Amino acid sequence: MIHFDEMACLLYLEGQLEPARAREMALHVQECADCRTLLHALERESHVLSAALTEDNEAMPARILSPRSWGVPSWVWTLAFGVFAFGAYWLWVESVDPWLQQLSNAGFGGTNFVSMLLFSGAFWEGWSYLINVLQVVAVVLVGVAAVGLLRRRFRRPTAIAAMMSMMALALAVALPQRAAATEIRRDESVLVPAGEVVHSDLIATGASVRVEGTVEGDLIAFTGTLIVTGHVTGDIIAFAGQLRMEGTVDGNIRVISHTASVDGTVAKNVAFIGDTFDLTERGQLGGSLITIASDGDLDGKIHRDLLGLISRTSLDGAVGGEMWVRGKSLRIGSSGEIDGRATFRGTRKPVIAAGAKLAMPLNVETQGETQRFLVSGLRLLVNEIVGFGMALLLGVLLVTVLPGFFRATLRETGRIGVPIGIGALALVIGVFVLVLGVLLILVGVGAGVAGVLAYAPILYIAQIFVGAWLGNRILGEASNTTGSIVGRMAFGLMILHAAGIIPFLGGLIWLTVGLWGTGAVLLGFYEMSRAEEIVALPAYQDSN
Amino acid sequence: MDVRRHPEGVSPADQASELDLISQARAGNAEAWGELYRRYAPAIFRFCRRAMHTREDAEDATMDIFIKVRQKLSQFDSSRPFSAWLYTVAANHCWDLLRRRKGRQDLETGEIENMPLEHPDPGQLEQLIEKSTSQEVRRALDQLPSRARMALVLRYYADMSYDDVAATLGVRRAFVGVVLLRARHQLREILGGRGVVAGGAS
Repeated sequence: MIHFDEMACLLYLEGQLEPARAREMALHVQECADCRTLLHALERESHVLSAALTEDNEAMPARILSPRSWGVPSWVWTLAFGVFAFGAYWLWVESVDPWLQQLSNAGFGGTNFVSMLLFSGAFWEGWSYLINVLQVVAVVLVGVAAVGLLRRRFRRPTAIAAMMSMMALALAVALPQRAAATEIRRDESVLVPAGEVVHSDLIATGASVRVEGTVEGDLIAFTGTLIVTGHVTGDIIAFAGQLRMEGTVDGNIRVISHTASVDGTVAKNVAFIGDTFDLTERGQLGGSLITIASDGDLDGKIHRDLLGLISRTSLDGAVGGEMWVRGKSLRIGSSGEIDGRATFRGTRKPVIAAGAKLAMPLNVETQGETQRFLVSGLRLLVNEIVGFGMALLLGVLLVTVLPGFFRATLRETGRIGVPIGIGALALVIGVFVLVLGVLLILVGVGAGVAGVLAYAPILYIAQIFVGAWLGNRILGEASNTTGSIVGRMAFGLMILHAAGIIPFLGGLIWLTVGLWGTGAVLLGFYEMSRAEEIVALPAYQDSN
Repeated sequence: MDVRRHPEGVSPADQASELDLISQARAGNAEAWGELYRRYAPAIFRFCRRAMHTREDAEDATMDIFIKVRQKLSQFDSSRPFSAWLYTVAANHCWDLLRRRKGRQDLETGEIENMPLEHPDPGQLEQLIEKSTSQEVRRALDQLPSRARMALVLRYYADMSYDDVAATLGVRRAFVGVVLLRARHQLREILGGRGVVAGGAS
């Protein structure tokens, strides 16, 4: 008798045999005990396997029964963002800033990089450079995120944990050295009398603060009147009604006050925001003066550059480096001196006395020169095209790497009013933090720049979502394929970038896009963290 | 049909309400989705537990599968049973993970697959099966190469058709039987090696 083999028996049992062969098998089995036994054994084996596989021998993990959050919990995002911002700040303060300072101390580059970034950057010209830097930063960031997500070799929580602990370690190593002792004095009027030496940073608050002695560190003051006739070896950082500095400062002065007069020596730079800034004849600045003020009366010596947004400038002293002033009027007296390039952009023609010593003729820029307009127009066009390409690239990355986030954010973009409101709010808070960071408190410029670096990627990807939304609006809702989403996004972005070239209106469009998209991105983040949370589930009951 | 594995197979009323749940979840109703999750998470976790090597991997995989399912919910064809679709997503996910993590090291080559299998002695086979406990079988399963284990889990836990097994594992349909039978032989060898009767030899 010819037996069926085990394969055929298995297929017969599983109903996979062709009908003809199955009938043959059925007939055969009736006569052949061997095959019958084999069939029976195989069937038993199937049962045993099924039973072994389905048997409940393990408790269901709590994580499965009531998952509090799915994927990466929202606090990880928040924490990662915070750590990133802090890390960027730390990097700036610990390495970039000192390095730049050393460069500047060594005499390289007359212009402080930060002031370049903040000042000429804030007023149109510098924006293109800044934006290019931000574009690179944004792309690098998303690239890093993409690599992190694509590298599935490590489980995601492991990778995040590794990143976090690395940053924490770096901070732990770096921080103790920065934590210097600080003395805090609070009184109606704070006085450091002549002869007294404060051997640490001094934070002073009161109606008036007077330093006649020595502070071996930074002086940080919140006060109505701040008078320094003594010696501060660090920086003066102040928020004051008025500042009078008649002593010596070995570091910088960063101050927001109504008026400020410098009648002594400042070894480094002065940054001033306020109404009137007065540099007396005895006043000496070892570095540059950076200021936003309505009046600038400069009779002393500035060894480096003068960068200012000053309505009325009166220069009777000397500027050792370059001068760049934007405002209404400029007067250079007969004792005035500028050793570098000098630029004035203003509404009125500058008045220059006969005896003034200018190394180069004053470069006066008045608005409305057609040639300049053409050149800058061409540069604008190139910028727009590059910007469009990079935004599109970033968008494609987002769609492929974080499709869930992309969809959520796009949905939020469609709510128009809500994201614009949220975006405006974020901007106000952002500007507040920026001002606070840059000029007010201990941290100085570093925190401001770090804040911008952290805010910039969001601001930058804002256009992607508004573009995608616009594309959807015009070409109709995209189907679910990446191609159609990207196509609509490209179309929308192109329109945005084309519209952005229009003078004035373009700026307005970008502002709206920025607010709108930022709000949408923030809402998207929120949506993602919420969507992935399942309302706390009751414990599992085997309800069947 | 095992109720534990296929909760929706209980009654037609339940099935109807399940379709409701799915369409509500699709529309973004978190409660409906939560209910779906509650119904199926244990079954999918058990599936992953059998398919993956460690408990942690199984937990992670379960989470990832449900995130995927939620994203893909709009693609679900409601004329098919939901559980079958769920198992397809789960199987693809786990198989992807296994393949990526282990590389080729324990996925058998076609050469070995083509080697003839020895015909078992039916009596000895019965004896072996009688004597093996479920726990022993599970322990033996853990020692199987990924593909063999996956094939058994897909067929005997998820109740997948030969077509679906073939699609998931990326083999020809005609080959599924061979993979299953070979897996059973390997399982018998491991069980037999534990001091039960040598099953594979005749």
